[in-house]
Amino acid sequence: MRPGPLASLLWTGLRRNLAMTGAVIVTVTICLAMLGAGLLLRAQVHTIDGFLLDQIEVVVDLSDAITPAERSALEAEMHRDPLVVAVHYETKQQVYERFRRDFRGSPDVVAGVGPEDLPAALRLTLADPRASRDIVVTYTGLDGVEAVRDQRALLDPLYRFLDAFTVGAFTLAAVQALASFALIYTMIRISAHGRRRETAIMKLVGASNGTIRAPFVLESAVAGLTGGLLAAGLLVAAKVFLVDGQFARQTMFPLFGWSAVWASAVVVLAAGVLAAAVMASIALRRHLRV
Amino acid sequence: MIVLSSVSKWYPNGARPALIDVSAEIGAGEFVFLVGPSGSGKSTLLRLLLREDRATSGQVIVAGRDVARIPDRRVPQLRRTVGCVFQDFRLLPNRTVAANVAFALDVIGRPRHVVRSVVPEVLDLVGLGEKADRYPDELSGGEQQRVAIARAFVGRPRVLLADEPTGNLDPATSIEIMNLLDAVHRAGTTVVMATHNASLVDAMRRRVLELGDGALLRDEADGRYDQTMPQPLPPSAPPPPSASLLPPSVPAQPTGTAPDDGGRSPWAAPTRNGPVG
Ligand SMILES: Nc1ncnc2c1ncn2[C@@H]1O[C@H](COP(=O)(O)OP(=O)(O)OP(=O)(O)O)[C@@H](O)[C@H]1O
Ligand SMILES: [Mg+2]
Repeated sequence: MRPGPLASLLWTGLRRNLAMTGAVIVTVTICLAMLGAGLLLRAQVHTIDGFLLDQIEVVVDLSDAITPAERSALEAEMHRDPLVVAVHYETKQQVYERFRRDFRGSPDVVAGVGPEDLPAALRLTLADPRASRDIVVTYTGLDGVEAVRDQRALLDPLYRFLDAFTVGAFTLAAVQALASFALIYTMIRISAHGRRRETAIMKLVGASNGTIRAPFVLESAVAGLTGGLLAAGLLVAAKVFLVDGQFARQTMFPLFGWSAVWASAVVVLAAGVLAAAVMASIALRRHLRV
Repeated sequence: MIVLSSVSKWYPNGARPALIDVSAEIGAGEFVFLVGPSGSGKSTLLRLLLREDRATSGQVIVAGRDVARIPDRRVPQLRRTVGCVFQDFRLLPNRTVAANVAFALDVIGRPRHVVRSVVPEVLDLVGLGEKADRYPDELSGGEQQRVAIARAFVGRPRVLLADEPTGNLDPATSIEIMNLLDAVHRAGTTVVMATHNASLVDAMRRRVLELGDGALLRDEADGRYDQTMPQPLPPSAPPPPSASLLPPSVPAQPTGTAPDDGGRSPWAAPTRNGPVG
């Protein structure tokens, strides 16, 4: 069918079905907003990971009694470890200088400590900062190792928080997707009933099955697209008002940028349109015999 | 154009068959009345021709194709070949006369310039050129049936099925509709009309197929509504010679059977874009 007559069929259908279409749009919007929120939370985790990759290392403090043979054996093992990207040895003097730099704001702390009080260390750069726990387990207690300090462990609560919210968002999105399907299923049934004269005449004059189904699928896809646009709008609003407006002032961590928002918006729009169209096609099998 | 061989139809949970062993042949360009008491199976027969239903046994051939064997996705092609009008008109109330007719072309994907030129022509042919912008509830029953005929004819089908087209109309209007269907026939369309209207059948004196309790009781050329001959023609009698000599399947050509077809009738004149359908 040409776009013009198809659009007019679509328009009459949407008008006739306004309340139902509205309900579908609201549900789809919530579903897609949750999906988008989950995607942004994942983007946030990646952002922090990227930040930690540069900033945070695992520090292996060496005991003062370590022999050169033990140290080179230890370093060799670390070089073989796929989780370890780089190993950097720091003498007691270098550790002391770093200590002074880190605590330059607290001269009282620095004053009481000399180079001999601090252990020499191996600083490990990790392939994946989230694997730091494995590193700690691997090297704790080896000969010549006094302690393994995982700076990332301090951030575990933050990661657990982000992970829990990601799972929660995706779960809510899935529940809302089921609700959307139930609503679209009902919308198609009502719509098929409202259009039964048109449909009967289309069959009678030899319209193809695709043509008969097209207005229904389009109706649902339009609802999906509208829900997707609203959800994308919510994501943008969340970025502007929540992330940039609030969190940015409350945390020292870098927050996800606009590219993550746009990527999520694209996914949300595509998922909305496609899923709604597919759901409508499934419902049509049941409600429209052609 | 239409061949029925030993067609029977049992509806699921029907106590008796709606059609029993019906055999008949209808040539291209014929006009046939389908008569019989209520419940004799006339509508059922028309439904089989449209593949709205399948025969339980026997073969239904329309325009050279075994209807039961047409795959589902090709059924629309069949329905573009076979137009249909009903007792209850079946117009879309929220569309104007012209939009109702245009709808039939729009939904089979005809280009806009074709729709624009063909719809007014067909409305003129059915005498509704002036009322193109009215809505169905602003028309009389006879006018609504004209719109329905225009809609069925606008795609230039080779066969037009009419299921009691005058059932809701007064006698004078029935005659107008009859004349319109006769004009469609003279344009070369095969017409099958199921009817209870005895006076129309008797006045037209066309071929009559009579059904009774699902069986074909009579197949009579130049027949009347009620049986006049003591012995019926055999059910599988060939169509009258005049009909079988028609050029097959050229709907837009004037046909030899047309009684007053001296010039090209407006029905037969193909549009600028040729026959649609
Ligand atoms: N969908 C159906 N399911 C079951 N039985 C049906 C169905 N449609 C028709 N029948 C039965 O088939 C028989 C023939 O019906 P049909 O509608 O073909 O008769 P008809 O000749 O068109 O009658 P009328 O002149 O009243 O329109 C009837 O006994 C009817 O009850
Ligand atoms: Mg009937």
